[in-house]
Amino acid sequence: MTEEPYRWLEAISNRREYIRDQLKGGTPVFAVSRPEGILLLGVGQGQSKVFEIYDRHGLAALGHPVDIEKLRQGAIEAAHLEGFNRSARDVTLRRLISFSLSSMLKNAFEQVFAPPFIVEAIFAELGETEAQDTLVRLHYDGDHYYSSSRVVVAHRDGSTDAEAAEWVSKALTPSDPLSRVAGICLSAWQLLHDNKSFQGVTAPVETQLQIPGRVIEAALLDRQRPAPVHYRPLDFDRATSIPK
Amino acid sequence: MTGDFLALLPKNSFPSLSGEGRNPMPLEATTVFAFHCADGVIIGGDHRATAGHTIFSDRTEKILELDSHSLIAIAGVPAMAFEMARTLQTAFEFYRRSQLQTMSLPAKVRALSRLLRENLPATLQGIGAVAPLFVGVETSDPKARPVIFFYDPLGAHFEATAYAGSGSGMTTIKSLLHYLENWGHPSPAELPLDQAVVLANRLLMTAAEFDAATGGVHADQKEFATIKLLNSQGIRTISIQEQADFWKEAMP
Repeated sequence: MTEEPYRWLEAISNRREYIRDQLKGGTPVFAVSRPEGILLLGVGQGQSKVFEIYDRHGLAALGHPVDIEKLRQGAIEAAHLEGFNRSARDVTLRRLISFSLSSMLKNAFEQVFAPPFIVEAIFAELGETEAQDTLVRLHYDGDHYYSSSRVVVAHRDGSTDAEAAEWVSKALTPSDPLSRVAGICLSAWQLLHDNKSFQGVTAPVETQLQIPGRVIEAALLDRQRPAPVHYRPLDFDRATSIPK
Repeated sequence: MTGDFLALLPKNSFPSLSGEGRNPMPLEATTVFAFHCADGVIIGGDHRATAGHTIFSDRTEKILELDSHSLIAIAGVPAMAFEMARTLQTAFEFYRRSQLQTMSLPAKVRALSRLLRENLPATLQGIGAVAPLFVGVETSDPKARPVIFFYDPLGAHFEATAYAGSGSGMTTIKSLLHYLENWGHPSPAELPLDQAVVLANRLLMTAAEFDAATGGVHADQKEFATIKLLNSQGIRTISIQEQADFWKEAMP
């Protein structure tokens, strides 16, 4: 098959279709850069979507749990080896994504006889200030971009991702507490989940931090935390864990 | 994926803990100690590193946090000891992040044993002996109390019931702690934090009186020991200012 280029192209195309089809059941994840730090948020049904990678790095992903796990392990291994062999400050998303994860996903995607990664992900790196935060959107085929926006959404479809991110961005004000930021993300989550348009929808004044039958998973890469480890899971049932 | 960072390391190039070549003059001698007090475990140490009769540094930090609930006090050759501490720091965090659970206390204790055992060639050559103290608390048990372990340079570990010490000044400090535990009123284990911190500094001053390789405490110049407290809430570093305040309060 690989001797015939057009067949290879066809196989790749089929593969893309297959992955998109597999991702249909996935629900979106969010990353929002705020003065307090970077909020990572996902909504699941028992499967984790938000993870700690390294001291200042986190991951939010949707897709097949096994593939999310492989991506997560790959990121953790690469980050810890870099941090050990050099220093924690040398662990950067730019190097992690460009030299390790992106090529791993691309290779898996183009090896048509091997299973691809069914995963869409956001990687976050906490900076000293909000302006120095880095958010990277990583696709199943290794394609990735560094977001210039403070909000990144990963879902099944690039156009709705951008629309949702813009809607969340516009709904937020710089002084909003983290609980409201999470609430607005959950409103966007509901709209995406219900396949509804964002056109003409305004953010609710009172935001809900619960979705019946679902588990909300959130973490903050906390800028104020003095320890080397900045990742902190947020528990929406315990209001004290969420900065006001 | 086992979460074992030490298994990952040989697949990737990094400098060996026990290198080859000519023997450098080792940095050595020190005094570190740990004892139970009413608020948890106090772990302290001096700041001095020596090479033969030379004071190499008086600004060495020997009490190192491995993760949020475990500490190592290094005694012996710093090059090996610091590398062991750095390896453990990475290994514990790697395990926690990759396995999504904290490594158990016995596993942490064994991890340090393993590094000491792997350091055996350097120990036998006389250029790399390390005899650390390890203090940790089991995070999965909210009622767990912190535990002190001491090691021999070959990796055997022993739990200390009340106190432990290592380094060239340890004999003095262990003698004093033994006396205070048996005949002191109150005993070190009953002391509140402020008094335990003062005791730790006095222990170090006494050790420095008899051991040239132990850096002393000079309260008038605000030079105190490195002191940390570990309990189920985690690690608390006792700042120089706090130590100065405690010291002042304790003065007759």
